[in-house]
Amino acid sequence: MVRTFIQAVEDGVNLAVVVGDSTSTSKIAPFREKYPDRVIDVGIAEQNLVGVAVGLSLGGYVAVTANAAPFLIARSNEQVKNDVCYTEANVKLMGLNAGVCYGPLASTHHAIDDLSIMQGLGNILILAPSDPVETDQILRFALSHTGPVYVRMDSGKFPILHDEQYKFEPGAVDVLKRGNDVTLAAVGSVVYEAFFAALELEKMGMSAEVLNVSSIRPLHRREIAESIRKTNTVVTVEEHSLHGGLGSLVSEIIAEQQLTAKLLPLGITRGQFSKAGPRSEIRAHYGIDQRGIVKAVMGLLRRKDMVRSYEDEQAPAL
Amino acid sequence: MFLYARSEKVHKDDRMSRLTIPQIEQKAKNIRKNIIRMNSHAGQGHTGADLSEVDILAALFFSVLKLDKNHLDDPQRDRFILSKGHGIGGFYCTLVEAGFIDESSLETYLQFDSQLPGHPVRRNTPLIELNTGALGHGLSVGVGLALSAKLSGRDFRVFVLTGDGELQEGSVWEGAMSAAGFKLDNLSVIVDRNTLQLADRTEKIMPLEPLTAKWEAFGFDVKSVDGHDIAEIIETIEAIDLNGGQPHVILARTIKGKGVSFIEDRASWHHKIPVDDQVMKAIRELE
Repeated sequence: MVRTFIQAVEDGVNLAVVVGDSTSTSKIAPFREKYPDRVIDVGIAEQNLVGVAVGLSLGGYVAVTANAAPFLIARSNEQVKNDVCYTEANVKLMGLNAGVCYGPLASTHHAIDDLSIMQGLGNILILAPSDPVETDQILRFALSHTGPVYVRMDSGKFPILHDEQYKFEPGAVDVLKRGNDVTLAAVGSVVYEAFFAALELEKMGMSAEVLNVSSIRPLHRREIAESIRKTNTVVTVEEHSLHGGLGSLVSEIIAEQQLTAKLLPLGITRGQFSKAGPRSEIRAHYGIDQRGIVKAVMGLLRRKDMVRSYEDEQAPAL
Repeated sequence: MFLYARSEKVHKDDRMSRLTIPQIEQKAKNIRKNIIRMNSHAGQGHTGADLSEVDILAALFFSVLKLDKNHLDDPQRDRFILSKGHGIGGFYCTLVEAGFIDESSLETYLQFDSQLPGHPVRRNTPLIELNTGALGHGLSVGVGLALSAKLSGRDFRVFVLTGDGELQEGSVWEGAMSAAGFKLDNLSVIVDRNTLQLADRTEKIMPLEPLTAKWEAFGFDVKSVDGHDIAEIIETIEAIDLNGGQPHVILARTIKGKGVSFIEDRASWHHKIPVDDQVMKAIRELE
């Protein structure tokens, strides 16, 4: 993120980054060293953080907020709704460490409702990069777009899924792997889990198509429908509540397009707070890691025999 | 029948000219009469809140603010944020007097999909910076604007008009703390201190006093004025120290519903409107 910001200023973007005692969360130090006047720290005051960013944008800056997603989403919700979205301010909201990134710090620090809440608001684009290459692409796009943008960010060290030629296009569904038996649609920090699950399924003779839905809004919904029409079976994967995230979005698409497909949404259980603990264990609990996805697909494709043997094989790893 | 006071076009040149005090007082009268007509025509509106702020708005728009009417995109122009968004009726009527919107459009106030809805919408109306209505939002945005001026070496000023009940919002004080922290001497908050909020007296619902001490403790330069004395409002703002490193607050003592005897200082008139012979009675009092 910081490298993209430095590059943007070098390219002439009039950038201001607003933080709320979140200089370490945002790892903004290298940017601040170069451009001390472009980092504004309002202290622990999220409502003011968003309001100040809006004011800076009205004064001609491309204003970026950079703080932890749970506080951005919940504490400053009304500033995001009215001052950013309704006013159509040129503000880019970085929801840092979204999902259950802060695993053991528990639900005060989890943001498992950001995609759902942002989709309830008008005028804002909602983007969720899946790896460092895409993060750079999405941030460049966000800074060049005039108007509100929310970016679901993560601080995890994730595998690189895209080569340097990858070009993010708003609305486009990024097909990471072609396949015929099942569609795996994933968002943000768990896209790589779906991708590696697909490679494993391939070895077992099941052909999975992997969709990286990094552009939640805008979204070319037909591109998802086309894949589901082909495979007739879809598993959605998200480190997000099953209410109002990718699973809900795909079920809307299935209904709208009158598809007769099997859908299995994987995510945080509806109506519950997320469990606390090491992130990998949280993911395992909700079945949104590679192993959980493989199991889910095998179950869906009615390969119960394989599910059992796969479990046995995997057991010692626990 | 719907009749608006036809005001004479005073502006001969493109620039917002500074009017004399009697001329501004006449503007304030016209604004008040339009508020009464507009709200009674619409059948809704925040009549008490609209009338309370009129002299402050008139002082700002006909004397204080540096605005070039034909170049509102000028990054150097002064900015005004109506943080008490429910006072939008008074603001629309001020914009009519200042020649930014047509008087005839006031007839559409509050109608379906009107350009003039019941709270400010930036996209619809010139000189609206922020879509307010939820309280406690304007000051933080004013801080960001004032900060943008400081950071980019511009010398425009930022004015934020808040209600007094609005000061019960915690976000106001987050904004206040940062205004002083960033030493924004180009930022002025004006508090429409009419001592009434929606349901009752502010001091009865949740006491705000001592307001002077509170703002001073937050690092503000505090001034107190008669919020219906246009000359005093202008003099006070003009005397502000723009290099003192301190943000400013002007506590404007006002009367909610000012100008109409049966509306003045009554909580029940927060969003009541004059009906039948009350309309003519109010207009007569405002002549």
